[in-house]
Amino acid sequence: MSWEQVWTAANWERLLVGDLFNTGQPGGLLVTLEIGLAAILAGTLIGAVLGVMRSSERRWLWIPAILYIQTFRNVPLLILVFWAFFVPPMFGVELSQFTSVMLAISLFTGAYIAEIVRGGIRSIAPGHIEAARALGMGRLQVTMWIVIPQAFFSMLPALAGRYVVSIKNTSLAFLIGLADLTEIGKQIGARLMTAPIEIYLTLFLIYFVVNRGISAATRLLESRERFNALFLHV
Amino acid sequence: MNLDFSVLWGEPGRLIVQGLVMTLKLSAWSLLFASIIGLFFGTVRWLGIRWLEPICWFYVEFSRNTPPVVQILFWYFSASYILPHWMFLELRDFGYEFGAAVLALSIYHGAFVAEVIRAGLNSIQKGQYEASRALGLGLTQSLRFVVLPQATRVIVPLLTNEATGLIKNTSLAMAIGVVEMTYQYKNIDNFMFRGVEALTAITVIYLVLCLATSGVGALLSWHLSKHARGRATRRPVLTSE
Repeated sequence: MSWEQVWTAANWERLLVGDLFNTGQPGGLLVTLEIGLAAILAGTLIGAVLGVMRSSERRWLWIPAILYIQTFRNVPLLILVFWAFFVPPMFGVELSQFTSVMLAISLFTGAYIAEIVRGGIRSIAPGHIEAARALGMGRLQVTMWIVIPQAFFSMLPALAGRYVVSIKNTSLAFLIGLADLTEIGKQIGARLMTAPIEIYLTLFLIYFVVNRGISAATRLLESRERFNALFLHV
Repeated sequence: MNLDFSVLWGEPGRLIVQGLVMTLKLSAWSLLFASIIGLFFGTVRWLGIRWLEPICWFYVEFSRNTPPVVQILFWYFSASYILPHWMFLELRDFGYEFGAAVLALSIYHGAFVAEVIRAGLNSIQKGQYEASRALGLGLTQSLRFVVLPQATRVIVPLLTNEATGLIKNTSLAMAIGVVEMTYQYKNIDNFMFRGVEALTAITVIYLVLCLATSGVGALLSWHLSKHARGRATRRPVLTSE
């Protein structure tokens, strides 16, 4: 074992922020988290819209939603990344590596989150919706103010699971040459040549810590009292 | 940009079919080993053997929280350091990339299968198992004849999800140069400049593969629930949820 070769200050710096302080080119964990957070936000938005569409009773809303969900759930993410990166240039649109990976992961995650949102909406007692309707709220208002705030808590564990998967999925970025955590790890491994175990165990460690952190953070929000105390000051 | 899908009947099509065969082989082997690993770890966790508990917990948490592609790279690049020498030689004869990919995917998905098996076993009252043990059945016998047959109703839909996930994750094996379908896309794109056509065909093939898998799973769970409830309560649908 040659940990002292791998765990040098220079290597840790590259793993965490890439060449940010040398050439200004960010990389490593920083890029992984950037892609991950952007994709999580965009994916949640896409998923929320699609999930509401999927739960609608109007045919022109749920048929497109189900087509989208089934298509994007049943294709490997890597194929989506390739679609987003290699195909647009042929039609004259250049997407950066960062944008295409983010786009692919958002669309992919959105399809999964849509199903979670649908499950959350189904967990609402119909009486609540009927009561809100009887009080004169419109359909959109009911969704926004009655259904989603309540569904949020029943969806949280499943959402946390999806967010962890999204962070894991950012590792595909290295296949189109983006300098994310995996790529930097691979580069360090290729330079040393003798310490693959140590370098990949280091990568595992970093991903593990980040993902357990996300799970822990969402577990903090799972109790409604704690959520209200944190964000609503009730 | 001129698209010509008829090229798929020529050389690109042949390459894609070759890749498809490799994808299927990879999926089948990984699914087999993942099921074995999952059955073992799931049962051990359910039985609650105290001293094995931390190992099982660590294994499952490790697999769930680290990216599959890094696991594939890990097993590929460090196999010669980690594995016993005879196993490494065996893998190398078998096609080392292929062996490493199967190993990594089995270990990765084994953890998820273990959770599925445990969820299925937990859905059965513990009394069933205790009664069968009290009646003199051994551990394996009571699992095989009493507990697992009842748990299949819960396990099958979840396992179907895992199977489609596994089929999708075989595409990651291209990172270490296994010549499966996604790798063939890069091939066709690089040497024949028919990327869009090939990518379309490959996307459709993956879609059909995954939808067929979840369709089979839905049919199977419909069949199982029909027998358990005595009458059909639900038509089969194309989603496993």
